[in-house]
Amino acid sequence: MAGFRLIDSVKPFLPFLPEVELPYEKLQFDDRVLYTVFISLVYLFAQLPLAGIEKDIVTSINDPIYFLRSAFAAEPRSLLEFGIFPIISSALIMQLLSGLKIIKVNFKLQKDRELFQSFTKLITFIQYFFLTNIFILAGYYGTDLTIFQVALLNFQLVGAGVVATLLIEIIDKGFGFTSGPMIINTVVIATNTIADIIGVSQIKIDDQGNTEAQGALINLVQGFRAKHKTLVGAVVSAFNRDYLPNLTTAVLVLTIGAIVCYFQNFRVELPIRSTRARGMNNVYPVRLFHVASLSVSFSYTLLFYIHITAFTLITLVGKNDPSNIVCKILGHYNDVNNILAVPTFPLSVFTPPRSFFGGLIEAPLSFVVFPAFVLVTGVWFAYKWQAISGQSAYDLAKEFKEQGLTLAGRREQNVGKELDKSIPLASATGAAVLAIITIAGELLGLKGKAASMVIGVCGGFSLLELITLEYQQAGGNSALSQVLGNPTSM
Amino acid sequence: MAGEKGNQNENILESPIKFIQEGNSFLSKCKKPNLKEYMQIIRAVGIGFVAVGVIGYAIKLIHIPIRYVIV
Amino acid sequence: MSSTPPGGQRTLQKRRQAQAAKDKHAKQTPTSTRSAGFGGSSNSILKIFTDEANGLRVDPLVVLFLAVGFIFSVVALHVISKVTGRIF
Repeated sequence: MAGFRLIDSVKPFLPFLPEVELPYEKLQFDDRVLYTVFISLVYLFAQLPLAGIEKDIVTSINDPIYFLRSAFAAEPRSLLEFGIFPIISSALIMQLLSGLKIIKVNFKLQKDRELFQSFTKLITFIQYFFLTNIFILAGYYGTDLTIFQVALLNFQLVGAGVVATLLIEIIDKGFGFTSGPMIINTVVIATNTIADIIGVSQIKIDDQGNTEAQGALINLVQGFRAKHKTLVGAVVSAFNRDYLPNLTTAVLVLTIGAIVCYFQNFRVELPIRSTRARGMNNVYPVRLFHVASLSVSFSYTLLFYIHITAFTLITLVGKNDPSNIVCKILGHYNDVNNILAVPTFPLSVFTPPRSFFGGLIEAPLSFVVFPAFVLVTGVWFAYKWQAISGQSAYDLAKEFKEQGLTLAGRREQNVGKELDKSIPLASATGAAVLAIITIAGELLGLKGKAASMVIGVCGGFSLLELITLEYQQAGGNSALSQVLGNPTSM
Repeated sequence: MAGEKGNQNENILESPIKFIQEGNSFLSKCKKPNLKEYMQIIRAVGIGFVAVGVIGYAIKLIHIPIRYVIV
Repeated sequence: MSSTPPGGQRTLQKRRQAQAAKDKHAKQTPTSTRSAGFGGSSNSILKIFTDEANGLRVDPLVVLFLAVGFIFSVVALHVISKVTGRIF
């Protein structure tokens, strides 16, 4: 062990890092359902407003990452201000870096795997801490906070981060199903989509105390008997209000979900045969979405980092003052609807427009740079990820060999090479398709909902498949609907 | 949309164009779901999404009175 | 080209090359937990915590209780600030 390795730096912190115990034996299917459902509900329940800040805060800055929140299950001005972004980002980046051999980890060694895992966790906690304090210093929670308030905010936001990490760890370690971050992301995205369509909660929209429903559909129905607007006005506003979800976005989001579902089953079927038994012919499907939603998550992780870095520089160094040199280089934030902080020119090219036509006039460059960024990073990630994920062409070839399978008409030695022709291409093409769907939605002004829908549906599908598989292994029958029925019956 | 990648890397114009061509041919080689399969997927994903979403939203509804009491 | 007889030096060379490539592949350290054969992220699933590392060991049920406790402590903070009528 010559030389210093990055993952060794976690060693002094080990005694303080909480670590969930692995289950002693494999849990029953029903127990795992219980754990998964309970954890998702705890997460949803934790979206409480923050204590210790004023109700009608006078902030110097509004929400700068509004369009990134829904991809990371984050709720503005709640305990889960940053959602699970630090968890997903540190995991994706660390695993990518180690896979590309930039960080030296020998995954064959138990010790190294443990250190790597603890290191990822440490990075997650550090990110929660930094994000919290960047937002506090920027004045997002009010301008002059007492030291006690700062401590309280740190306790709540970093504490919530630690809690979220541990909840995800419980799911990951086999108490729940498959993957913690993806389960929580999917649950939150599904919840938000439902809330946007049929949410009944009444939200105050003006000073006269008029309220409108959060859900777009409910709002349309209520619009027919609303006193503060005419019938036509109500219908028009149901389709184009921009302070709350409207029907146009709802329809767009559902369309995106349907399109992703359509591409979901795109596959190239390679004929395989058994090397042991004669006449055992089958097909091996190479999925178009081999890397599924992870490529979009990665693009959005990078966007998040870009925006947080710019946000830090603009608010802390440049004080969000347009005449300051930093703001002249990077742009500054404008208030929109008193909720959003929308960046101006140079930074705005990485921001999806808030509406298609408005964006076309105000920021035409963001119609070029933002899509190109999402597309290129997504494809690049998919290409790299499929190679390092342990499911690359050569890994699969090894698996084939163990199971006594081979591609029909190929020699056994060439299976890897043959798979290598289609799997990287499938991953990259799939990532491009997903990126294009995301981009198309975002450019139409969905403010992050397109990305979240792609991640939700695509990730949800990956989870569904694995859960169904485990259900079958647990002795159930193959009906998909029964797996889906399980959570509802509780 | 796919053409955008070409504009991006003009210095290495060849590989993106090659990628687009290969990707296109891959897409056309793909076995596409027929209507019945598609409906099945939509139904499975739809039911799952709505079920999870409704339960989640029920939890969020509990938040409304809590918010009213505590804030 | 076609005049080369089967077998002979060329085949040997090829064999050697193939063997070298195989060795190189085997010597490479795995690129992820899964490629080392221990679970972890797969092509479409992001998994983070699959090993039991050293650290402050906690039982999952304890974590769940602590999580609920944490949420209620925040609710309590809200109630305190409402009852006392001031924001700390």
